[in-house]
Amino acid sequence: MAQVPVQTIHRDPQLFYWILFPITIVMILTGILRHYATVLMASAPKKLDQKTTREQRSLLHGMQVRSSFHALSKRSFNSRRDALITAYESGAYLKDPERKGQPPANPMTDPSSMEGMMGMMKNQMAMIIPNTLIMSWINAFFSGYVIMKLPFPLTIKFKSMLQAGVATKDMDPRWMSSISWYFLCIFGLQSVFNFILGNDNAASQMAQQMGQMGPQTAQMFGPGVDPNKQFLAEAENIAVVDHYSVLDGVEDRLLEGIRV
Amino acid sequence: MAPSLIRSPVQLPPAEALAISQQAPAILQSAPSAVSSSILSKEKSELWIEYENLILSCLRTGDERAAHQCLDRLVTRFGEDNERVLALRGLIKEAEAQNNGELEKVLKEYEEILSKNDSNIPIMKRRIALLRSMGRVSDAASALVQLLDFSPTDLEAWSELSDLYFSQGLYPQAIYAMEEVLVLAPNAWNVHARLGELQYMAATASGAGNGAYQKQMAEALKRFSRSIELCDDYLRGYYGLKLVTKRILKDSAKPTKQTDDGDFSLPDTRTIERLNELATAKLAEIIRHSSANDRGWRGYNAAEVAAARELLSEDASSDIKR
Repeated sequence: MAQVPVQTIHRDPQLFYWILFPITIVMILTGILRHYATVLMASAPKKLDQKTTREQRSLLHGMQVRSSFHALSKRSFNSRRDALITAYESGAYLKDPERKGQPPANPMTDPSSMEGMMGMMKNQMAMIIPNTLIMSWINAFFSGYVIMKLPFPLTIKFKSMLQAGVATKDMDPRWMSSISWYFLCIFGLQSVFNFILGNDNAASQMAQQMGQMGPQTAQMFGPGVDPNKQFLAEAENIAVVDHYSVLDGVEDRLLEGIRV
Repeated sequence: MAPSLIRSPVQLPPAEALAISQQAPAILQSAPSAVSSSILSKEKSELWIEYENLILSCLRTGDERAAHQCLDRLVTRFGEDNERVLALRGLIKEAEAQNNGELEKVLKEYEEILSKNDSNIPIMKRRIALLRSMGRVSDAASALVQLLDFSPTDLEAWSELSDLYFSQGLYPQAIYAMEEVLVLAPNAWNVHARLGELQYMAATASGAGNGAYQKQMAEALKRFSRSIELCDDYLRGYYGLKLVTKRILKDSAKPTKQTDDGDFSLPDTRTIERLNELATAKLAEIIRHSSANDRGWRGYNAAEVAAARELLSEDASSDIKR
C-alpha cells in the first residue's frame, strides 16, 4: 500500500509571529474594547412608573395563581379566580383603561420603545463596525497566505472553511489561511473573554446573538403588545383550570411515607 | 460555625449578631474602601450584600460608627440616589432616633421621597415598618395594601401583611395574605406550617360554629401534614400536627360529614390517631437527638425544642391521670 506522502510546505517561521499573533491579539483587544464600549453606552434601565408596574405585576400574579393553584384550598382558589377574571375582563389593571380595545400604538412613535430600539441599534453597531474593519484589515494585509498547520487531520469538507482566500485544489485541509484564523477567533475566543472579563461580558457577538434568540420573557412586556389582550388570554387560562389540591389525602401520603 | 455574612442577619439570635458586628472593623479593613473599575479588579456582588447585612447587625448591636462606614462605601459605589441606599440610610436614621419626634421627621423624609418617586419600593417598605413600630398599625396596613395593589407579586409584603392582621386578631385576613404567600412560593414548608398555625388559632380562638371550626381544623391538619411532607423532621410541622390531632381527639365531636365539595373534611378517627402517634414519636425522636447534639440533628431552635418537650410531658401527665 502506497503511503500518502505528507505534504510539507516550507513556511517562513516569521509568518507565525507577524500574522498569527497579531490577528489573535487584535481580536482579543477588540473584544475587550467592545465590552467596555457596550458598558459605557448602555443606558440605565428605565424606571417604571407605578401604573406600568401594576399592570405587569398583576399579570404575573395571575400567572402565579394559575401555576400554583394546587397549594390553595378549593374555596380560596375559587374566590381568587373570580376576582382575577372579573378584574382582567373589566380591564381594572390596565395602565389607561380608556384606551382599552384600541389597537396598540405604533412602536415607532412611542418614545419609550424608541429608546429600547436605540439600545439594540447601538449593540448591533458595536458588533458590525469593528468586524468590518478587522476583516478588511486582514484582507488587505494578510490574504493569500497559509499560516499554520492544524495538529489534527480533517476531512475535505473543511477545506472551504479553513482555506478561504487560498485557491489551491490539492492542499491538505489541515493548512489554514489567515482569514480562516480570523473566523476561528470570532467563534473560539468566548472562553478567553470569560476569563478576562467575567461571565456576563459583552465582548463576543456570539453570546449576544444567542441572547436575542433565547429569552421570551423580555418580549412579554415589550412594545407593541396589547396588555388588554394578554389579560383576556390570562383570564381564559385561569378560567379553565381544573382545580385539585395537594392537601387532598395528604395525611394518608404522610402515613404511607414516613416510618418512625 | 461562624454565621455567614451573605445571609440576612434578621433571624439570627443576639449572640451571633453580636459576633458578626464585632467582625465589622476587620471586614472594613480587609476590603478596599473604593472599588477600582480596572480590568484586574474582580468586583463581587457578594461584597455589597455583606455590607448591607453588616449594617443591619451593627445597628442591632449599637455600633453606629461601623454602620455609617459601610453605608459610605455603598454610597461611593451606587450613588446617593439608589433606592436601596436610601432605604438603608433611613434605617440608620431610625435606629439613631432618640424620641418620637425624630422618628416623625424620618417619616416625613420618607414621604417626601415617595412624593417624588411613587414606585420606590424599598422606601415604601421602610415607611410601613416605621409606621408599624410607631404603633400606627392601621396606617401601616393601609399603606401595605396600597403597595400590594400595584405590586401583588411581593412575597415579603404579603407575609408582613399577614403578620400585621394576625397581630390585630383578624384571622381571615391574615389567612388570606398567607395564602397569597403560598401562591408565590407553593413549596415553602414553613409557609404551609404558618398557615396551619393561623388556621388552628382561628379555629380555636373564635366562637366559630361547629362547621367552620371543623373545616379550619381539618385544613390546619392538612397544612401541617403537607409541611412535613415537604420537609422531613420539621419540628414546627410536627408540633402543630400533634397539637391539632390532640385537640381533635379531645373534642371527640362526631365529624359532621360534609358533602359539599370545596371544603376539607376531617379524616376518620383512626387516621387522626395514627397521625397523633406519628407526631409524638417523631417529636420524641427530635428532642432526644437534638438534646444529645447528634450529628445531623443540630440546628434546631432551642426554644422550639423546649416547647416540644413541654407539649409531650403535658401529654404524658394527662395520660397518667386518665
